[in-house]
Amino acid sequence: MTAGGTTLASALAGEAALVAGALAVLAFDLTGARNWAAGARWRAATTLGGVAVLVALTLVWRVGAAGPAAGGSFMLDALGTASRAGILVLAGLTLALTNGARRLRHPAEFVALVLLATTGLLVMAVAQQLLLAFLALELASLSLYVLAGFDRTRPESAEAGLKYFLLGGLSAAFLLFGFSLLYGLTGSIEFTAIAAGLAQPGLSPLLAVALVMILAAFGFKVAAAPFHLWAPDVYEGAPPVAAALVASASKLAGFTLLVRLLWPGLGAVAAGSGLPGWLPVVALISAASLLLGNFGALAQSNLRRLLAYSAIAHAGALLLGVMAAGAAGPGPLFYYAATYGLATVGAFGVVSVLDQAGVGPGITDLAGLHRRSPLLAGCLFVFVLSLAGIPPLAGFVGKFLVFAAALRLGGLHSPAGVLAFAAIFLSAVALYYYLGVLKAALVTATTPDQETCITVPVSAAVTLVAAALLLILLGLLPSALLGLFS
Amino acid sequence: MSPLQGCLLLSAALFSVGLVIALARSNAILVLLGIELMLNAANLNFIAFWRFHSGAAPATGVIFVLFAIAVAAAEAAVGLALVIALYRHQKNLRLQEATRLRG
Repeated sequence: MTAGGTTLASALAGEAALVAGALAVLAFDLTGARNWAAGARWRAATTLGGVAVLVALTLVWRVGAAGPAAGGSFMLDALGTASRAGILVLAGLTLALTNGARRLRHPAEFVALVLLATTGLLVMAVAQQLLLAFLALELASLSLYVLAGFDRTRPESAEAGLKYFLLGGLSAAFLLFGFSLLYGLTGSIEFTAIAAGLAQPGLSPLLAVALVMILAAFGFKVAAAPFHLWAPDVYEGAPPVAAALVASASKLAGFTLLVRLLWPGLGAVAAGSGLPGWLPVVALISAASLLLGNFGALAQSNLRRLLAYSAIAHAGALLLGVMAAGAAGPGPLFYYAATYGLATVGAFGVVSVLDQAGVGPGITDLAGLHRRSPLLAGCLFVFVLSLAGIPPLAGFVGKFLVFAAALRLGGLHSPAGVLAFAAIFLSAVALYYYLGVLKAALVTATTPDQETCITVPVSAAVTLVAAALLLILLGLLPSALLGLFS
Repeated sequence: MSPLQGCLLLSAALFSVGLVIALARSNAILVLLGIELMLNAANLNFIAFWRFHSGAAPATGVIFVLFAIAVAAAEAAVGLALVIALYRHQKNLRLQEATRLRG
């Protein structure tokens, strides 16, 4: 099967490595490691999982941008390669953080589910067909639902998992219904054939229904308002490492699939001639997310909920990048999503170490962190400032690229230009709540019961420092990522 | 009214009924049932378009539906597991009592 220039086996070698890794982790835990202590089992499972992620990263990188594969079902282009590599790096960091987090039961199942979720996300990043997109999305989502509810000892985790599942199931039904209408309108499920079908005049008004349903489902996936209701609960209730995966890699994959579906697939009906296109809908969702995310975050006293509202605000800015991707290419969007994911994984890494040390969940509980653990405070400083978009960190470059691309679309008077300006002003609001976190961690003095030092496990410390260094390096050398797209 | 229109109306009705059940009921299992109804409405769409649409590629709709049914089964399995996880802590399935996370 060499229809598209490359075989199915080589195109999906990375995904195959991940699935093999998941099975190996489960098998080893059931046989070799059955009588080991919990700590050793966790280390064995995460090491095996990490090896699988590294192998997958090499395989994905070696295939590279080989063009369409398997008869056009997959699209291995620059965006696909960059996005798959980014997802694997984020998943690898998540796995490395697991050792420093509070120990849950069933290490092998946890790592295997992380690997399966990553497999789904990887396929999402290259899917060029509705059926594959749906299956990949569901593989990733079903694994993430279980991960969110993984901590069986805490009722909050079960509640987070069930809420995530119920809203996710609802969005999956919307997505499938939208896809079915798209199939009915164009007679095909391939993005290229759909684009050809939509380019013809005289489309049925059912298209508007299909577009709204698909955008609602993706709005759920990337936690954009008004489909964001699950995000604060899941970020707060799920185990921090699972929340890190939900917040970073799953977002990157969601935006990659969304931009691939909207521009190459539905690009013909972007602005709409006679019929309403999808650009105004995306603009509305983006505006709602920017407003609700930034103002909602102001009211939060729990660090994880604050990260969730900040994620909603970032989703709004990323949707601006989706609107601009038609003219500017996916480069700015990918840069923003990847560096945002990196900063979020880092922030959740700090949260998970604090959680394991029993420091908890409020922002005021961070008081005196600079004395108790200078390393954690320093890493948190880098991650939060990158989320806020302070130069020279990567978060600033990402915002700059996306807003510049949006302003170039139609100047100040176009909807995208107005939105970009609103996003820049709301960044000032965002700075306020981000600095509130840093003030608690770096300035506020300790109370007597907060004097003890926090020990950071070695693997978590290495991971956090690596993520922080990556953020600084990518901020100083943005061309390292953007060069992939030129 | 052509058969295709009839099928589409039926599936739209099924979808709406499912959505109302999913949004209005407070029992987690009933919400799950509503979601399944919505998925099946989409499946009906695929079959109808495949059967009555002349331009459609052969068998695409049927294959899509087969996969969608498998996904719905997997989703039900995961959903029931999560429902049981909540039931262990809460001793009932009322969603309005699941309010530990809020703010």
